[in-house]
Amino acid sequence: MTGQRLHHDLFLIAHDKSGKPLAHRSATSLALAGAVLIDLVLAGRVSLTGGPAVVVGRSATGDAVTDGLLTLIAGDRLGHDAPYWIRTLAEQDVHDRTREALVAAGLLVPVTRRRLGMLPYLRHEPADIALLVRASAGVRSAAEGRKSPDARSAALCGLMAVLQIERALYLGLPSLNERLRALATGHSPLVKELIGMVDTLVGEAAVAVYR
Amino acid sequence: MDSQESIGRFGYRQELRRGVGLTDLVFYGLIFMVPIAPFAIFGLVYERSGGMPVLAYLVGMIALLFTAASYAQMVRAFPLSGSVYNYAGRGIAAPVGFMTGWAILLDYLLVPSLLYLIASIAMNASIPQVPVWAWLLVFVAINTVINLRGIRMTIKLTKVMIVAELAVLALFLLAGLWALLNGAGRGFSLSPLFNPDTFSWPIMFAAVSVAVLSFLGFDGISMLVEESTGGSEQVGRAMRLALILAGVLFVTQVWVAALLAPEPLNSSTAFYDAAAVAGGEWLRHLTTTATAISWGVANTLVAQVAVSRLLYAMARDRQLPAFLGRISVRNSVPANAILLVSALSVGIGLWMSSIDGGADLLASLINMGALVAFVVLHVSVIVHYTVRLKSANRWAHLVAPLVGMAILIFVVINANILAQVVGLAWLGVGAIVLAVLYAAGRRPTLRDAAKEPA
Repeated sequence: MTGQRLHHDLFLIAHDKSGKPLAHRSATSLALAGAVLIDLVLAGRVSLTGGPAVVVGRSATGDAVTDGLLTLIAGDRLGHDAPYWIRTLAEQDVHDRTREALVAAGLLVPVTRRRLGMLPYLRHEPADIALLVRASAGVRSAAEGRKSPDARSAALCGLMAVLQIERALYLGLPSLNERLRALATGHSPLVKELIGMVDTLVGEAAVAVYR
Repeated sequence: MDSQESIGRFGYRQELRRGVGLTDLVFYGLIFMVPIAPFAIFGLVYERSGGMPVLAYLVGMIALLFTAASYAQMVRAFPLSGSVYNYAGRGIAAPVGFMTGWAILLDYLLVPSLLYLIASIAMNASIPQVPVWAWLLVFVAINTVINLRGIRMTIKLTKVMIVAELAVLALFLLAGLWALLNGAGRGFSLSPLFNPDTFSWPIMFAAVSVAVLSFLGFDGISMLVEESTGGSEQVGRAMRLALILAGVLFVTQVWVAALLAPEPLNSSTAFYDAAAVAGGEWLRHLTTTATAISWGVANTLVAQVAVSRLLYAMARDRQLPAFLGRISVRNSVPANAILLVSALSVGIGLWMSSIDGGADLLASLINMGALVAFVVLHVSVIVHYTVRLKSANRWAHLVAPLVGMAILIFVVINANILAQVVGLAWLGVGAIVLAVLYAAGRRPTLRDAAKEPA
């Protein structure tokens, strides 16, 4: 499953091996929502040409979050643009829905722990640490210069840069954030534009009056 | 025109959640203004106004109602979150927007320092064993940690704070009126409203230049235009409502305090002294603690977000260094802007706490920045509507801005001389920065849909 859905891979990368989030939930939600839309755009299922998002074709993808977004966009009569859909999906609990999908697929395992031996809390650990490695394999090889990234890996590079979670790669390279950002923006105008949208939304969320 | 579309005209997208109603907007304005704001600066206003603080607050409210009307016009024309910087830049020209942003930056950067200082003075009045500077460091530390952790005021918490502040105010008013009925203070009198023996316009406008501090923050409502369920119309209505509500509360509390304040007046603690006369030491402690919490925590939280937004907006438009536009995604906060403002607050707050009349000077400087920016806002309405669009609505687009501008100019002319000098110096530095930007080929521009892809 991993390697198939951009938002699944991003969710795995955006949490450490103990399930602890590496970025703020509001930012992660926006990036996950962006990942869903980017997947659809790169697959040719959604077109952004001319401004409003438009669904191309009618078949379902099999992923509840992705299909939910496709239904919303297909039913839209006001011609909302990509940032609107990213924000909408982020508000529709994309974070928890993605996590539930990964749990259902057996890729994440719920684990209850206790703070100070008393206060219980729930985390979701990867079922296998190799999942994390596989999820970031494309980004890792691109960042190390071993392989040119495809559009999907370039987008994942950009989303990791936006979330400032490059430490999850354990590469120890200097200016890694800038490198990931450059890989995304240098890939194609489409990836550059989509990552730019998510970046702006994450920035706006950080200075929002109310969360 | 759909609000999304109208924002899109300016190269921005609707990025913030629409879900803030009229009541929420008014409450936001009130928490920013602080319904008990005069507790802290009553003594200064009383002294400056020749014992007529009620008149000073009334004139201040009227002046700012004109400002709110101009805000409403510009929010309607440019429904963007931001500040007067955006409206002046788009209504007149980008360089004017830069200078206006620079002027209001003085206000925004200094507000947290003043909030910390006032809160510290209030706590020192309650617990004199701890010096003002120590309280100041405690307040800055608490707020910096809260802000860096990404904790924000919520709509619910805003309402709780307003209710708590109003409860303290109600207690003061009840105790004060009861004390007056029982012969305490100077008894009922109209002198806090008008005293022919001390009245003169220069004295009154000098007092207004301090009193308007209590109203600053009503303009913060304009930042929520993109979240507002009723768009720009609702924002304009909320500004008027918040100003009138605050005005009524301010006038009532300073009237009662003016009748109770013991002579000779201590300008730093006059309100708390009046509270002690009204209800005893418990009311003094209650009013000082309420001031400390509302200024030092609640108001500082929203002020910090406001200054971060302005720094972020100006950095995003490449008019301030890019590092101010960077955010820390870990806690979803503009960490650089928060740390800069905290460092400034410590430096300026400690400096001002060490000099006589420091709070007065800081308040005057803040008001100077805001008033200059408000004058430009009025000019923006005239330029945008009357000159550019040839509007036939003479009252809203010419007469009202001119009247509002005239009142504000009188206030600026009669303000603290040192504040005028520092304010001018600040504008001079802004002009130099603007010249440097031009020389470096980075002339101020505002995002425009026609010039760059959306």
